[in-house]
Amino acid sequence: MKSTAMYKSEYSSSERAAPASSPSAPMVCVDGVNKWFGQDQVLRNISVEIKDGEFFSLLGPSGCGKTTLMRIIAGFEFPTEGTILIDQRSVVDVPASRRPTNMVFQHFALFPHMSIEKNIAFGLEMKRVPRSTIATKVKEALALVRLEKFSGRKIDELSGGQKQRVAIARALVNEPKVLLLDEPLGALDLQLRLQMQGELARIQRATGSTFIFVTHDQAEAMTMSDRIAVMDRGEILQVGTPRDIYERPTHRFVAEFIGHSNFFEGVVCAGASINEYCPVSYDGVELVGRGAVPLEVGTKVAVMVRYENLQLLAAPENGRLVGNVTNKIFTGPTVRTDVLLANGKTVTSEQPVSSDAVNLGVGQAVGIHWTAANAVVLNS
Amino acid sequence: MVRTPTQDQLLQPLDQAAFRAPVKRLDAKPLFPLVSLLALPAAIWLALFTLAPLLLTVVMSFWKSTIFGTTTTLSWDNYQRFFSDPLYGRVLLKTLRVAVLTTIFCLIVSYPVAWYLASQNVAKKAVLLVAVFIPFWVSYIIRTFVWLPILGRTGVINQFLQYLGLIDAPINWLLYSEFTLYIGLIYVYLLYMLLPIFLSLDKLDRKLLEAASDLGASPFQMFMRVVLPLSTPGIISGSVMVFLLSCGAYVTPQILGGPSAIMFGNLIAEQFIGASNWAFGAMLSVIFIVVVLLVLALIGKKAGMQKIFLGQG
Repeated sequence: MKSTAMYKSEYSSSERAAPASSPSAPMVCVDGVNKWFGQDQVLRNISVEIKDGEFFSLLGPSGCGKTTLMRIIAGFEFPTEGTILIDQRSVVDVPASRRPTNMVFQHFALFPHMSIEKNIAFGLEMKRVPRSTIATKVKEALALVRLEKFSGRKIDELSGGQKQRVAIARALVNEPKVLLLDEPLGALDLQLRLQMQGELARIQRATGSTFIFVTHDQAEAMTMSDRIAVMDRGEILQVGTPRDIYERPTHRFVAEFIGHSNFFEGVVCAGASINEYCPVSYDGVELVGRGAVPLEVGTKVAVMVRYENLQLLAAPENGRLVGNVTNKIFTGPTVRTDVLLANGKTVTSEQPVSSDAVNLGVGQAVGIHWTAANAVVLNS
Repeated sequence: MVRTPTQDQLLQPLDQAAFRAPVKRLDAKPLFPLVSLLALPAAIWLALFTLAPLLLTVVMSFWKSTIFGTTTTLSWDNYQRFFSDPLYGRVLLKTLRVAVLTTIFCLIVSYPVAWYLASQNVAKKAVLLVAVFIPFWVSYIIRTFVWLPILGRTGVINQFLQYLGLIDAPINWLLYSEFTLYIGLIYVYLLYMLLPIFLSLDKLDRKLLEAASDLGASPFQMFMRVVLPLSTPGIISGSVMVFLLSCGAYVTPQILGGPSAIMFGNLIAEQFIGASNWAFGAMLSVIFIVVVLLVLALIGKKAGMQKIFLGQG
């Protein structure tokens, strides 16, 4: 079910128009950032460039350093080493209050003693914008997040989704060059989260600002982002479009973190450069996939095949590998089949219910096949 | 043509449903009716030892005390004597002034301390809180007396200053003056200000400070717009407590204040203990209670009674 939802999101985001970015310098440039908290290094040599008008996600499990990286961009933390440029200006010595960024906090951090309008007006008041201008801008911001009807309410009279919108309006009304969103949907229930995903994408298109979005939810990152940086243990492993990351992961961690895959551990038979077909010896059989990284002969690797790319053939002799069906699960749009290989490994195939896979019976001998273009060879 | 609902229409029912804010049921019936019986002992206690003496005081304020004893004929004589002699009014005003200034000083001293305490991590907070509490385990009379050897003519401060050669003769006003009175009152009542402020600052979500800073607030703006308003409940309840306690102070002025720093509490005590004029003392008490209640009502009208007594914003 989860992986099906992901296909959809993958295609919808890949079909989205590219951001209207100028070919000039990036909006945010993080260069060689290291961050230590005492003895712990939480960020390792982070370098990443985020384009103007881009919806950029930092994706990773909790503790991977994504929030710290965002807080460094916001100015709440300072890098131990490295520089940050926002709109081509170094902001390393600039406090949060004077950076052209605004943040949407995980638990909203709305001022409980102020009305919705006062919350939204706060940033403008700090900048001593004239009162009449503030009133207009607050109205516009309320309209942008579709909260006009709730004006004048107190913060504690709002639901989670409404608070979320106030938090977004409070940040966006300042017209930040970069909007930082720290797991802003984490505090919402599933229905609301899906709804707000759509809202955020709409707001981003409407304002054209650069969004940096921190999340541990891969489906969320896939649906909404122009590009994603996948992080683990303080490092950025891969940066790319959702489709890049899904179809051509460069690290085993990325492949495992996003989507569902089978991994066949083997040894490289002949060296290959990136994207070239690379033969891998697996249990005496030669498997082929495209190299995610340059590969040398004798390297231990894993051939990754997504569940949906693993086809099961009723004629075992036609497959690359042979096995027996052990389990079959009907998920609705797909049927998920487990196959036990002769060497004891279980692999999984997920095919549309309209395919032939639905006719396979438990215990049946099947051939396992995939298109070489859909297999990726990763360092294991 | 099939009409598909727009996103707006889809949003509506959800938003409206979420908007039916829960209504606080203050009149909700207790789970067990008998529970209210548990309040009975306290109610009897209050009736016997607070309400009854208070009523007796009011009645007694209309009696008459002479050297031959107290007669129970009712008259306005005591009240007439109060308003005809400016001494009592002067001491009353002075008492209010001392109480207000003590409150303000306590606020100024304890706010930064409360902020510092609230900013510490849990372990350090616990240690520091205990450190703040320890002096208050000692009786306040002892804590008051302890100022005598510190501030007296041959006290620590005078001797030290003389030793340094900064002064030739001991400073007299260190003890038995209004200055000493403030020192004593602030020291004794500081905790009543510190704790409520600490509690409201401790509750304050640090993310709000980050949010304010993110929105461009300077540290001063952050304090004025976010920290101060959110700690107002603590400030108000602390202030009311210190004000009430200082109003009623009579041991501290007696021990530290000397003759010039007499407070209204001392006047009342003198009538009961020294002059044996209970009726006149009762009248002074009644007037004092009424005046203090008026002051509180005035603050309450400004700040809202709920804030004062329940600490709710």
